Amino acid sequence: MTSPATAAPSVPPSLSLPPSQFARLQPHAYLLAHLSPPPAMNQPSVRANGRAASQFRVTSANAGSLTHTNGSAVVRIGDTAAVCGVRAELLHTEDIASWSVSQSSSATNQSNEAGGQGTDAENEVDRAQIEDLNLLVPNLSLSTGCAPGFIPSAPPSALAQSLSHQILSLLHSTRLVKADDLRVWYQPPNLEHIENEMDVDGGSENRHPREIKAFWVLYIDIMIISLAGNAFDAAWASVLAALRDTKLPKAWWDVDNETILCSEDINEAHKLSLRGMPIASSFCVFEADAAAGWRAVVIPDAEEQNAEKQKKKGPQSRWILADPDGYEEGLTMEKACVVVDKENGKTVILKMEKLGGWTIDTEDLRQLVDISAQRWDEMKQILG
Amino acid sequence: MLKLPLIKLEMNDRRRINGPPGGTRPAVFASHLESSSAADRARRERQPTELRKIFLKTGLIPSASGSSYLEFQPSASLAAARETPKSLIPPSSALKLACTVHGPKPLPRSAAFSPNLVLTTHVKYAPFAARKRKGHIRDASERDLGVHLETALRGAIIAERWPKSGIDLTITILEAEDDRWWADAPDSHDASWGMMNVLAGCITAASAAIADAHIDCLDLVAGGVAALVSDDSGDSSTTSPRLMLDTDPAEHRSIMSACVVAYMPARDEITELWLKGDSSKAALENGDARSAHEALIDGAVDAARGAYSVLGDALRESVLQTIQS
Amino acid sequence: MTTTLPPVAIPGQCLGSVAMYSAGPGTHIQQSNIYASIAGPVVADPAQPKTGTKSTLRVSRVVPATIRAASAANQKQRYNTLPAVDSIVLARVTRVQKRQATVSILVVLDDASQDPSQNASDNDNVASILTSAANPENHNSTDELRFQALIRKEDVRAVEKDRVVMEDMFRVGDIVRGSVISQGDQSFYYLTTARNDLGIVMARSDAGNMMFPVSWKEMRDPVTGAGEPRKVARPY
Repeated sequence: MTSPATAAPSVPPSLSLPPSQFARLQPHAYLLAHLSPPPAMNQPSVRANGRAASQFRVTSANAGSLTHTNGSAVVRIGDTAAVCGVRAELLHTEDIASWSVSQSSSATNQSNEAGGQGTDAENEVDRAQIEDLNLLVPNLSLSTGCAPGFIPSAPPSALAQSLSHQILSLLHSTRLVKADDLRVWYQPPNLEHIENEMDVDGGSENRHPREIKAFWVLYIDIMIISLAGNAFDAAWASVLAALRDTKLPKAWWDVDNETILCSEDINEAHKLSLRGMPIASSFCVFEADAAAGWRAVVIPDAEEQNAEKQKKKGPQSRWILADPDGYEEGLTMEKACVVVDKENGKTVILKMEKLGGWTIDTEDLRQLVDISAQRWDEMKQILG
Repeated sequence: MLKLPLIKLEMNDRRRINGPPGGTRPAVFASHLESSSAADRARRERQPTELRKIFLKTGLIPSASGSSYLEFQPSASLAAARETPKSLIPPSSALKLACTVHGPKPLPRSAAFSPNLVLTTHVKYAPFAARKRKGHIRDASERDLGVHLETALRGAIIAERWPKSGIDLTITILEAEDDRWWADAPDSHDASWGMMNVLAGCITAASAAIADAHIDCLDLVAGGVAALVSDDSGDSSTTSPRLMLDTDPAEHRSIMSACVVAYMPARDEITELWLKGDSSKAALENGDARSAHEALIDGAVDAARGAYSVLGDALRESVLQTIQS
Repeated sequence: MTTTLPPVAIPGQCLGSVAMYSAGPGTHIQQSNIYASIAGPVVADPAQPKTGTKSTLRVSRVVPATIRAASAANQKQRYNTLPAVDSIVLARVTRVQKRQATVSILVVLDDASQDPSQNASDNDNVASILTSAANPENHNSTDELRFQALIRKEDVRAVEKDRVVMEDMFRVGDIVRGSVISQGDQSFYYLTTARNDLGIVMARSDAGNMMFPVSWKEMRDPVTGAGEPRKVARPY
């Protein structure tokens, strides 16, 4: 790859460095030289990594390869790789300090009445149970040697903590996992009926209410094995793919042992019925400002022409880069993340976040949603 | 008295997302309670000296100066279970790990001057790596593995070529090996046999990553495991334990003793040897005059030679790839 | 007489006898044989007929595009990619004090040669640089991953040493080309800039613009026209 900047004819000799050194010494100028090549060079604007501004890296996903998990996935986005394993364990309602029978039976009635269609009340119970009982436990680790600078034996870095929390809040806000998939029910036998041995079908009103005996808790652990920027998109995709792969065994309350027992039969196990397929797309904003003066040094002759051109067209002073690599992330302050899903071909925005700057405007956000919607189609193919 | 550890736990966990405060219980399978004969034990279908295939590739993690990924071939029973899934309980598991080397980089400010390269090793299991969920904080066995790994590699590195600098070697275990078959009741012969397989894999992968980072070494280091197993299944034809290479503990009723070595093949030197269990009583098959532990070490070295051929091929291939690109 | 050499070696592989070759970088000697100590292409640098030396075997750290067997003979042999005495380095100034400046070494260039194709080490692969964060100006943690060096007041320039004012020589953020004069202690190497070709090669002005050199002791902002004092490296 030839760097446009090093090849520029009027570069002062002391600046004629090989691309690798230029990239290291003047990262900002290096990236800018690629995005905004001197007009004389007649080159298209590309990122230092060779991608167009809205282009994502090659992505692959592979589910179900880890033996000791209920569900697992490996997702690679370029050189960033995330491995997610989902492990289900049981939370007995008797172990929940605040649990009362009324809670379990109210859930019963609502889910019976609603018949699967989400009423507001049922949604609220759903949300409350998953969030208040901590049924989804995502933790992301960067202490894997995935990049220099993360000490393996140290507690989670600020970045790891923030990513874990972002995943948790996205799991909650998208309501991806349904609480009913996590409930283990118990129907107490109707002793009167057994004693009297009559009217077997008739007693539906007299039946003891079903009660929840336990919940499945999903421990969702994400190991970032290789970090080369945009950990969030890779981590979220790995969580999504692993949850889609997750199977929970059939579980029941065993009266004799007074515990929950499970069936190992894979045909009795159930997959999670997830709500949709939310896909995250992250962006960063690269600003030319910091190196504007430097370009004037490189092409002093072209300066005037440039200035005229700028009056006509207006200079491009910032670029919104999709799926930033590690180098780009280090050179940008403003970041944005859009999470979309599609229902019957219609794009639904589930989360939109921008932070660290003020240059992204409404028009930009509209474009980012379009790009994210295209990315959704791409990811749908990849996740299968 | 009880409050102290609780508070400590809470402080540690503040940086992580915690599950239900009352804790959770792993699933208990009904079939397991009823009778242990319900499931068929995993069986070794390899010859005693036949090794599992190893998949090893270097340079997959570009932000590291050196890296490798290693996978053991799944056992016959695991492969069958994957092919036609019936039970949610996996019959055995096969090692999967990723290794990175960062550096040479400056030693921390607090460190004393060192004319040599300082090697630091970390081994960590992913929480989902083993049959029992692992914690986020390194436990004693993980520290132990780190120490064994460091001694295995230290002797191979030409440390004086890299003055006052250090490398960090980190291994993440994505899938570990079982210590015994899951349905077997714990017995007196129990030990962390699976951990020895993990160590052997760590050694081979670490040597690959160090070579990938272009750190000078006297030789490559390969890991190998051999064990004395007795699989007396009633017909008592042979009571003497048999020597097996590259044992999968899930495939054997009882492992008497096992040995893992770190071996430098070109120099025929052992840099690390770890022998567990009681091999003193074991009598070998007819015509074998070696003592049991000699046979174990020889077996482990043979297994390491097998791993070495994979290691050498992986490194040559990666050099040829960079030449061609 | 010459046995065929393998094109590619791995650590521990026997390459030849010391009777026939001398051992170069990337190799070591064990019981009168030369063994590879790194993985890479094997290179035999031809013997020097004048001095009667044997041909030197080495295992290269770099890809063949940059292997140049012939010219390597008159060059100092390097056994690692660390800064060593006489290495030319490019470093970023991180601190300026009355008696010394602290710098963080970004690139180790090979000795003497300024030919860019010559000094590629395996850390200079653009693809790998692009994977990790590179914002040295506001990234403190990355400095812990880089070798640190000091430029003492007396090593800044060769003339008028006693009139050196450090703030007029270096500013934080400048890129300086220096030569290693000593391995130093556990935390610092020592650099000198007391040569015409050494000193500041890149600097921003107070206004934030990249300056160009106008003399051995001044650089100028092309936008504001203001000059600033620096110990400037001669551009060539």
